[in-house]
Amino acid sequence: MTGRVIVITSGKGGVGKTTTSANIGTALAKSGHKVVLIDTDLGLRNLDLLLGLENRIVYTIVDVIEERCKLKQALVKDKKNPNLQLLAAAQTRDKTAVNADQLKEICDTLKEENDFVLVDCPAGIEQGFQNAVAGASEAVVVTTPEMSAIRDADRIIGLLNTKEEITSVKLLLNRVRPNLIKSNEMMSVDDVVGILEIPLVGIIPEDTGIITSTNKGEPIVNDENALAGKAYRNVAERILGEEVPFLDLDEPKGIMAKIKNAIAKLKVKV
Amino acid sequence: MLMEKSLVENGFIIDLSNIQNTSQLVFELSSIMEHPEVKGKNICLKLGSLDLKQSQLLSIKALVESMNASLALIDTISEQTQASAVSLGIMTETISTDINPDFVPQAKEEIEYKKESVVEKSESIATSTGYNEENKTIEVHADIELPADPIETAEGIEDIYDEMSTEEVSEVIPSENYETNTFDSLAASEGLLPTEEVSKYILLDTGNVLPEGISENSVSTGTLPTLYLNQTLRSGQTVNFEGNILIIGDAHPGSEIVAGGDITVWGILGGIAHAGCNGNITSKVRALKLNAIQLRIAGLYARRNDTLNVPYVQKSDEFTPEEALIEDGKIVIYKKLRRD
Ligand SMILES: Nc1ncnc2c1ncn2[C@@H]1O[C@H](COP(=O)(O)OP(=O)(O)OP(=O)(O)O)[C@@H](O)[C@H]1O
Ligand SMILES: [Mg+2]
Repeated sequence: MTGRVIVITSGKGGVGKTTTSANIGTALAKSGHKVVLIDTDLGLRNLDLLLGLENRIVYTIVDVIEERCKLKQALVKDKKNPNLQLLAAAQTRDKTAVNADQLKEICDTLKEENDFVLVDCPAGIEQGFQNAVAGASEAVVVTTPEMSAIRDADRIIGLLNTKEEITSVKLLLNRVRPNLIKSNEMMSVDDVVGILEIPLVGIIPEDTGIITSTNKGEPIVNDENALAGKAYRNVAERILGEEVPFLDLDEPKGIMAKIKNAIAKLKVKV
Repeated sequence: MLMEKSLVENGFIIDLSNIQNTSQLVFELSSIMEHPEVKGKNICLKLGSLDLKQSQLLSIKALVESMNASLALIDTISEQTQASAVSLGIMTETISTDINPDFVPQAKEEIEYKKESVVEKSESIATSTGYNEENKTIEVHADIELPADPIETAEGIEDIYDEMSTEEVSEVIPSENYETNTFDSLAASEGLLPTEEVSKYILLDTGNVLPEGISENSVSTGTLPTLYLNQTLRSGQTVNFEGNILIIGDAHPGSEIVAGGDITVWGILGGIAHAGCNGNITSKVRALKLNAIQLRIAGLYARRNDTLNVPYVQKSDEFTPEEALIEDGKIVIYKKLRRD
């Protein structure tokens, strides 16, 4: 078996790389695929928190590289889904504890026994980014509909395009707020795709449920009712090659609004 | 409370004569010692009637030295403290009392100390502390020649606690092989158990986690030197010390404390604590609030139970001191009763 190694990256910090990694990883594992998540944000690790696995970490990626343990020993199984495993970053070390070759070797080993290896990349374009990208053949670039985040995403896409090993670069637009788009206060999905010119793999709405899910250590994909959870499940399906239509985020809620909406659609047809 | 003094050259008097217990003394002293003016000074400590065992005084001395000062002189009316000071080679003298004129020291009713606890002057005490800013790692190598008698450095803060209550609040239950744990049995160990008394910590099956060449030992941790730290340990910071570690402050989640002997956190312990890292199975972890994400003693590793509801913001006014130690191959936690 040769699995796919996908790096989740962004350039700008705080746009949702870790949230995306945790959710896509969980969704893929739920659909029966063997997944390993690698946290490469040394010194600022978060992925373990989002998955609620912090208390299980004994060894980290640095312990593997410095040969204090075997790779298998450092993989922490998810609480709910044994298909999902985490290779945690070291909290007490910095980016220089790891180099690109070492990360590539780890990815190469892991993809032998897993369907997916998802690499959660730190912010920035320095060594942490270079390390995270080293073993990957695909990339998901996360951005929010903000000029600064898009500028950084553009920079990252440029860098990814110089890497021969990376054959696919896709866009995930996070924290979308339909009502702001409507009132022209936020760039629309089309605007962003128009600027960045790469295929879209997901649109995730702004969802306060993400905050509670982070605090609980339970990815939002596990919440059947959350819109962001549904959006992330769709991303996983698209990664698996299925054609899934993008969610209609501004679906009106009230019954009157629904009727109005239906009438509006009719009018358009006429 | 602070006053320059010419009695000792470059001296600095700290009057703590109204303090009646060791823990308060350590607390006060460590906050005073943070004062930049105290750096490099010869400290003259006014102690009143407080009885300090030699080991306790040694710890105080180490505390002063860890703040780049030295303990030059002690003024005490306690015979025991006097004896301890003499045995440690610290000058004792009465500091003129105009510092705190209202203070009338109360004579202790029964001065009870054993003659044999007076040991000869210890030869040398040298502690070097290095703080590595970059890696946020504090590594300390202490080179302490111990006095002939065993000292109980770690017991120096015993005042914090009352008698250990015999009530066992929780016990770490060994889980099945962690690697091969099935989903169901894992779920069962997650506290979906019918009992209300859910274990606070659950043992991880980490196999043989002791590094090669290190074997179990049960050297009394009282014979080990103690490192005092008066600071908050933040996420990503680690403290390593071959002896005992006493932290006056909180240890935040994401921090790591690794000690050859005991770990005592006078505050909230939220990070990882590894006591007896060199295989010392008598080592203990104590904290005013024991919420460590992982508890490690010698080769036993335990994780905090997922079902344990630790508030995001921990209040510091609800302390229930606890102590974790190894008993019958398990990590057992004892609740310490608060003194009112
Ligand atoms: N769709 C969303 N709706 C609401 N909040 C979100 C959403 N996505 C992410 N967030 C919040 O944004 C913050 C940053 O998310 P996250 O940690 O995943 O970003 P990151 O890109 O990994 O950050 P870093 O660059 O620091 O690694 C978190 O507080 C998260 O809860
Ligand atoms: Mg992140």
